[in-house]
Amino acid sequence: MKLTTKQLTLCALLTAMALALSYLENLFPLSLAIPVPGVKLGLANIVTVFALYALGLGEALLILLARCFLGALFAGNMNALVFSLLGALSALGTMVLLSRRRALSIYGVSVGGAAAHNCGQIAAALLTLGSTAPLYYLPVLLAVSLLTGGLTGLASACLFRGLRHTDLMKG
Amino acid sequence: MRPSPKLHPTAWDALVVLCVAALAIALALFQWRGGTSQGLTAVVSVDGTEIDRVSLEDAAGEKTYQAGAYTLTVEYAAGSTRVRTSNCPTQDCVHTGVVSRGGQSIVCLPARIVIRLEGGAPDPDAVDAVLG
Repeated sequence: MKLTTKQLTLCALLTAMALALSYLENLFPLSLAIPVPGVKLGLANIVTVFALYALGLGEALLILLARCFLGALFAGNMNALVFSLLGALSALGTMVLLSRRRALSIYGVSVGGAAAHNCGQIAAALLTLGSTAPLYYLPVLLAVSLLTGGLTGLASACLFRGLRHTDLMKG
Repeated sequence: MRPSPKLHPTAWDALVVLCVAALAIALALFQWRGGTSQGLTAVVSVDGTEIDRVSLEDAAGEKTYQAGAYTLTVEYAAGSTRVRTSNCPTQDCVHTGVVSRGGQSIVCLPARIVIRLEGGAPDPDAVDAVLG
């Protein structure tokens, strides 16, 4: 994949924004209201949705991998890497498939991505814990993902509306 | 220029929402079938290996478990248990609170500790997923 300077700069900027958003969502500890491991807003998904539509699958994947690796490095917790990678990759994969269905809006794609993210994280928990106990949390996580997915969908829709008049979307 | 995404919810989005909701409800029905606090056993495992088994028939007291850099203090009472303290960064296990039904569990991801309640007679008042 060959990136122009503009695309590379945009990817770097979006990676930085995704990392900042992951940090920012710690200020809204959703898990205090819903005490289930893995419950979070998933604000970094806004960046993935944006990159997928505005740049393409390759760029979205690059940003996502950079975000997961740098995030784990900054947190000093490489154990969390398998969780964020499996979650983020499932989300991206699902959103790629859903975004091909032109009838779906950014909301449907975003909700599907959020739900897939939770499934990926539970899969990571099943693998690392070697126990089926984490499956117990999946129904709650899926229910929460309807809400958080809708919210990130709304944020992404606002983003695209705001950028409609710029030349950013022209690659 | 790439085709811009649809920015207003469509009827098809509702289908995605319904699918996710249906999956959540199906999983919940499958896993959260009744279960009372009679004859429960708390099974503690680290990394998938069972390390302790405590009957909650008339148990009362505390035990500490260590895994990696983390220490969990687990409080056992008759028919229920909870993680009282933990030095893990997420504190999800502490926030989970008291569990008292068969099939319920407390998971501490950083310490890789799972406390799972086994046994518990089916609750006669519980809604059965299979009718007839």
